[in-house]
Amino acid sequence: MENNEKILLSVQGLEKNYPGFSLKGISFGLREGMITGFIGRNGAGKTTTINGILGFLRPDGGEVRYRGVPLTEDEQGIRAKIGFVSAGMTYYTRKTLKTITDVTKEFYPDWDEGAYRKYMQAFGLTEEKTPAELSNGMKIKYALALALSHGAELFILDEPTSGLDPISREELVEVFLRLKDEGKTILFSTHITSDLEKCADRILFIQRGTLMADEGLDEFREKYRIAEISGKPGEELQAAAKGLCRTREGATVLISREDAAKFEGREATLEEIMVHLEKEAEEA
Amino acid sequence: MKLLKKEFRLCMHPVGYIMPLMSALILVPGYPYGVCCFYTTLVVFFICLTARENHDATYTLTLPVSRRDAVSARILFCTILEIIQIVLMGGMILIKYAIGTMPNPAGLDAGLAMIGEGLILFALFNLIFFPIYYGDINKPGKAFLIGSIAVFVWIIGEIIACYTVPFVQFVLDTADPLYMREKGLFTLGGAALFAAGTMMAVNRSAKKFEEADLAL
Repeated sequence: MENNEKILLSVQGLEKNYPGFSLKGISFGLREGMITGFIGRNGAGKTTTINGILGFLRPDGGEVRYRGVPLTEDEQGIRAKIGFVSAGMTYYTRKTLKTITDVTKEFYPDWDEGAYRKYMQAFGLTEEKTPAELSNGMKIKYALALALSHGAELFILDEPTSGLDPISREELVEVFLRLKDEGKTILFSTHITSDLEKCADRILFIQRGTLMADEGLDEFREKYRIAEISGKPGEELQAAAKGLCRTREGATVLISREDAAKFEGREATLEEIMVHLEKEAEEA
Repeated sequence: MKLLKKEFRLCMHPVGYIMPLMSALILVPGYPYGVCCFYTTLVVFFICLTARENHDATYTLTLPVSRRDAVSARILFCTILEIIQIVLMGGMILIKYAIGTMPNPAGLDAGLAMIGEGLILFALFNLIFFPIYYGDINKPGKAFLIGSIAVFVWIIGEIIACYTVPFVQFVLDTADPLYMREKGLFTLGGAALFAAGTMMAVNRSAKKFEEADLAL
């Protein structure tokens, strides 16, 4: 970690056991003013981790700290600094945005009405509408407007771009980048990795409840290369493979950067890395 | 207070405005008047059901509030509706006396003791419904089923007592103003049970909700 990078939120040894699934001692830190992508297949533990950060679940072990203060010591104060946005979650779909806002703002002494008006206008939202009348993208923008107006410093986004068309996704990614420019910190959980390639600074990769990577996006991508082959891979390539996916022509093989020259490897996308590593883990 | 306001503005179910008017059933001759209170327990169920459909718990817990406060606000909100029901029942009893009352063969007569019976019924319901509900907020139906069974056992028990228990039959189940002291004490006891039962419901529910894992 560089000297000027401050940890806003840290997760230490977070554990949660369910029948058939365990979150195994997850530890990471969210750097202030950065967008951290959180990737992993469905059921890998992304949402469980987020539930732990937000205090929705009671962990079996570990702790969450915000600016060094344990979540359990100041749960309400810390929550006031967090804006949570989820694509699949819509509250009170038949109430007008005005009603929801009127209720919500009462809980925040630092509510900034000017900022709220500004973001509502910038996002093209009108208060007379109900969430049921908004597109998924607009619902996300409304949730962001609320969070921005109560002075949230950290935005936890759970699959915010799921189910959106490419244009809407692009718009939201631009919004996230604007938030970053304003110094906000974002944890962006998604399996649409192309969105992260556009905006993330860092990557958390979770696999079956275990955190496999916590590093800069570029460093993470730099570690891997993709070799495209027709037919079956030879023994040497198989030995070097970190994951293999079949294609119409043959296969793509994830290899380490050190092996790139030997196998004519090209740069790997985040999606390719994730898919190949998942495939390998599945087969193992 | 903010949470209570939130309950009224976001969680109130439309039937919550209608069901208290069921107190008018007091005017119907030969009716088990305890059933009037059942309609408000139904409102409580609808509120909790609507809350689930609107992801109310997730919304509430992203606000800077404690789980205990969230539970207290919901129960206080429902308790206010119950008290409105009781007050309206009192009004209907006065109207019934003004137009002329007659003995009720289906349980207690419409009178002061009826208020006490309603308060005990709500105490029982709150004490059973809310702790089960807050054990798993995604299953309000289970909590309501068990709460309703208790409510109907209480109503049926009261009707039977009107024919078998001398104190109920000859003191409580009489036209006012007969035995007003005894009926007043019974109703005061009902109010005390209502307050104690509801406070116990808050404590038990908060404890369960504090420990619960909430899935997004």
